[in-house]
Amino acid sequence: MLLMYAYPFVSSFTRSFVGSEGNLTLQNYAKTWDLYLKDVAFTFSVTVFSTSVTAALAVLLAMYLRFRQSVISRMLVGLYKLPIFIPFVVVAQMMNTFLAPHGLLNLALAQIGLINIDKPLELFNFWGLSFGFVWKMVPFSVLIIHGGFQMIDNSYIEAARSAGASRAKVITRILIPMSKSSIMVALVLVYSQIVGTFTLPYMLIGGKIPTTITVDIAHRVNYFRDFGVANTLGVFSYLLVLATAIYYLRSSVKRVAEAEPSRR
Amino acid sequence: MQTRKFVLLVLALSLVGALVFAGGQRGAAAEKPAQVKVVYMTAGDVNMLALGQNVIGPQLAAKYPEIAVMTVHTGPGNAGSQLIYEKLEAESQSNKESWDVDVAMVHQIFMKWAMEKDLLMPYAKDLTNWKYVTSPFAKNSLGVNIEGYAVPMFHSQTALAYNPDYVKDPPKSYEELVAWVKKNPGKFGYNGIKGGMSGVSFTVGWVYWKTGKWEKYSVTGPFEQSEVDSWEQAFKDLGEFNKYVTFTAGNVGTLDSLNRGEIWMGPVWVDMFFTFMNEGKLDPKTRMILPEPGMPGQPMYFVIPKKAAHPEEAKKFVDFVSSPEFQAKEIVMRFNWYPGIDGANLKGAIPADIYDKIYGDVTPDDLARKGRAFPLADYFSAMLESYEKWIK
Repeated sequence: MLLMYAYPFVSSFTRSFVGSEGNLTLQNYAKTWDLYLKDVAFTFSVTVFSTSVTAALAVLLAMYLRFRQSVISRMLVGLYKLPIFIPFVVVAQMMNTFLAPHGLLNLALAQIGLINIDKPLELFNFWGLSFGFVWKMVPFSVLIIHGGFQMIDNSYIEAARSAGASRAKVITRILIPMSKSSIMVALVLVYSQIVGTFTLPYMLIGGKIPTTITVDIAHRVNYFRDFGVANTLGVFSYLLVLATAIYYLRSSVKRVAEAEPSRR
Repeated sequence: MQTRKFVLLVLALSLVGALVFAGGQRGAAAEKPAQVKVVYMTAGDVNMLALGQNVIGPQLAAKYPEIAVMTVHTGPGNAGSQLIYEKLEAESQSNKESWDVDVAMVHQIFMKWAMEKDLLMPYAKDLTNWKYVTSPFAKNSLGVNIEGYAVPMFHSQTALAYNPDYVKDPPKSYEELVAWVKKNPGKFGYNGIKGGMSGVSFTVGWVYWKTGKWEKYSVTGPFEQSEVDSWEQAFKDLGEFNKYVTFTAGNVGTLDSLNRGEIWMGPVWVDMFFTFMNEGKLDPKTRMILPEPGMPGQPMYFVIPKKAAHPEEAKKFVDFVSSPEFQAKEIVMRFNWYPGIDGANLKGAIPADIYDKIYGDVTPDDLARKGRAFPLADYFSAMLESYEKWIK
């Protein structure tokens, strides 16, 4: 563990302070601040937005699957897992043709007369990128959240129902609070995956300003062999995931602590 | 129990397979004892590996049964060439009498590094096909005199592709292009500088146009910070230009966008343009123009290390691939590059319609007059970084 994970992490952190002549310096940070601050902000906003939308949709879908037992819901249970197994590079290529100005989506919208194909929706930007992330991440979150919902015994729901709770009440007062931890775990995992994804932003908005941190890292390495600034950008992405990582660690520590006494 | 049996069976089968394979190898080697193994290292994309393994290797073996080519692929871009350079430099420092690599294919910047360290053999003038090598790129690479040390295998060039349905009278220069995008906002597309080299090339061409100093930046040097400082306005103008353009998703993205009619014009690699067209992925009526004062392109070179173990076989190798027949059939017709040797010599070897197609829009004269080199390494890095600095 130390060799494979801790060492590269520490070394990428320390190397972000090493200049081109091997000296200790803050120049990598100055350059990153100067050139890439807008990209850090962009990455953060895309990530927060995509994660929130993913969470909302995933909770809704998980609820539907929890309550409805029909042919359609059973089919959905089989189908929704599919995107989990599609690699990001394939998703990126799909989104590329789907979201293009004359891509599938715009052509379909033009067919039904919603837009004029000469003025198509421009989606190679914040919105298209978020759409791609949400498409890919919702199934994964549903898998975790739905699992949490299924752990809740029907008797709780029936008890609430017989005490006169509406369905909305059951959801907001029973289901969501009781599976809070699985929802949070899904959020943390989705959030940190989005921060670190390279292919989708590269293939959708690689040449644009602003773009994501991962694209900038690749650019620094490919064209400049500048590992100093690349590592600094890496540190910024660690900072972005730090808050969620701490939450995740704390909640799992808490869970262990709660479990301990019962074992004794 | 069942699984155990299965695992044993698989183990036994793979053992038998390995034995048969090893035996087969030994058998094959025994049949041709006098074969010389020529080690060929190539930088570039995976198509370079394909060229070595599937095209040059077998064809050379058919002509010279005693030569077996072993292709080693180091990876795309200057970084791929750098690995080859590091290998040769290490061999030079080890003071070995004969070096492992017999022949290599490298980028322009490699020539500068290798010539400085005296790692190459002056072999090119011994070739029978040297007389066809007339390109200025064969004499000079990024300001370094390389005549006799390298043979360009192909030349790839960037140009502006356009859709003649919408663009009747294409802009003939960067200056006309600026006026054109203002009249047709969103219809010119490129991929910035982080989405692939066609966008980078367009940007470099922009700086050459604005400064008029392509010669200093790409050939003579020297590097001066004052030049970099003088680019602020050029890049701010490009930032203004960017407001009227569509950003595409990469080199391929520009071609796809052209094909779907989203954009009417954009910078492309000529070889990708023809490859897409041949594969039916680009409307065959799409055309190209090389705008004034020019856009960059680059050759790749064959070199023979100074102490190659098999210099004679290596020369046969390079002579073979620089023959008009090979250049016509493989370099031009299969891979859609411009030939490394003088295009005029291919006229008989290529069907007239293909020759006209390849040189129809971008003529040999255009290439000679407006085909620029990429900038020297320091200027190149400075241009890319200035783009990020000035264009917000």
